[in-house]
Amino acid sequence: MPLFNLSNVSKPVELNYDVAIVGAGPGGLSAAIYAGRAGLKTIVFEKATEGGQILLTDMIEDYPGFTSISGNALADEFLSHAKAFGANFANEEIVEVDLESNPKKLKTDLGNEYTAKTVVIATGSNPKKLGVKGEDEFLNRGVSYCAVCDGSFFKGKRVVVVGGGDSAVEEGLYMTKIANEVTLVHRRDKLRAQKIAQDRAFKSNMKFIWNTVVTEIGGTKNVEYVILKNVQTGETTKHETDGVFIYVGLTPNVEIFKKYIKTDENGFILADDHMETNVKGVYAVGDIRKTPLRQIVTAASDGAIAVIDMTKYF
Amino acid sequence: MAALLSEEDRKYLVDLFEKELKGEVKILFFGSKKKEECEYCELTEQILQELAETSNKITIENHDFDDEEALAKQYNVEMVPAILMLDANGKDMRIRFYGIPSGYEFSSLIEDVIATSKNGAVELSKDTIEKLQDVKSPLKLQVFVTPTCPYCPKAVLMAHKLAMQSSNIVGEMIEANEFPDLSMQYNVSSVPHIIINDGEGEFVGALPEEAFVEQVISVVKEA
Repeated sequence: MPLFNLSNVSKPVELNYDVAIVGAGPGGLSAAIYAGRAGLKTIVFEKATEGGQILLTDMIEDYPGFTSISGNALADEFLSHAKAFGANFANEEIVEVDLESNPKKLKTDLGNEYTAKTVVIATGSNPKKLGVKGEDEFLNRGVSYCAVCDGSFFKGKRVVVVGGGDSAVEEGLYMTKIANEVTLVHRRDKLRAQKIAQDRAFKSNMKFIWNTVVTEIGGTKNVEYVILKNVQTGETTKHETDGVFIYVGLTPNVEIFKKYIKTDENGFILADDHMETNVKGVYAVGDIRKTPLRQIVTAASDGAIAVIDMTKYF
Repeated sequence: MAALLSEEDRKYLVDLFEKELKGEVKILFFGSKKKEECEYCELTEQILQELAETSNKITIENHDFDDEEALAKQYNVEMVPAILMLDANGKDMRIRFYGIPSGYEFSSLIEDVIATSKNGAVELSKDTIEKLQDVKSPLKLQVFVTPTCPYCPKAVLMAHKLAMQSSNIVGEMIEANEFPDLSMQYNVSSVPHIIINDGEGEFVGALPEEAFVEQVISVVKEA
């Protein structure tokens, strides 16, 4: 990543817009590019840093046009692209919305009240919790969901990575560069991650424990061990470790919209072929949406479809 | 040494500061010549120098932490590299950067320069401003970060904004990797990690404004 990153410097100019995009991941930023090109007055809200979850990814190799690019650099490309076509950015968190009023209202944590004729929900998802004993207790004492944020605290130490998907394997690989010992614990007997990531993992010094789940995270002051249970034999063992990185799926950031928007049983938003939700003029794009694939390329596609459809309201 | 800022970023800052900077900003930098004790002092000094060159409203004052003990003490500077900012009236904004503000934290530094040029006028909700009236004794907020943490600038800026708003609050950014002993002392292993008044309170995560202030105020109320 660039040694000095400026992506967070952004100031809103006013309060009333054609399009309000909540979340600046690939879905939101793609929508911002298309909205800008459609001549719509656009604002994008981001509570953390523009880029979304791709900022948590060390290297990206599956977005067309970039054989290999850091998550941070790709986020920068998306962001400057959206800015080039006139999107405004506000580093404010939306805390309350009124999607039934016309125009729709969005209140931020700074107390500002914005309005927009249409809204794109691109709030994405957060890593899901494992839901085991000790997970919350050791949250800031060795349990982490972000290898690029917290990896450096485990230099030369032992870590356990939980999960078998792309995130688990890729972030596990990232940790092999920092930690002394990386053990991936997966509940099945094979990985779900893309083949190329699997091949790299098997070639690396990562260790694997198959058919096993973590049932407890324990220690005194900091994480010292996890309790592992083999799902086939039922046998439990104690595995010593200094850190636990958890990548067992995603949980949607949908809370503030739930009152208005229909979701599936897991909280992912139901949208039609044009990405429009059950509320007219409100769209859902990217990870937040019920969709068979959650990738940068699919989120970007969602954003484009949503904005092209939205132009019918202007 | 080659420039740290890309030409594109330099131009961006020139434009941004031209538009946004109201008054003058004085940045005080404390460094150390002892390289083994301050790996990033030189780099921090250079980036500040390049920053100052983007606007004639920004000046940098370089100080030596070891030789200028009295001055360091006056500003309560405890370790290096350290950065603090004074507005046009010479008023200390009560914000501190300990460690190099690199990666995502560079944005925090820029936001602080802009706020300092406006004499510390920051955007906070009415509710927050009211609650801050309850802070009647000194309160220190230390935000532990890593430069690669995208959630961290939000927490740093919140601590810095509270410091600019309330004359009793000091808001610090601490780059956790550069101060391993301090990070260890507070058990920092997941960032952002916010320590209130040397451990009277703590929380992890970039909370929205209301929740952040709630955490801070709960420590004040307990005291």
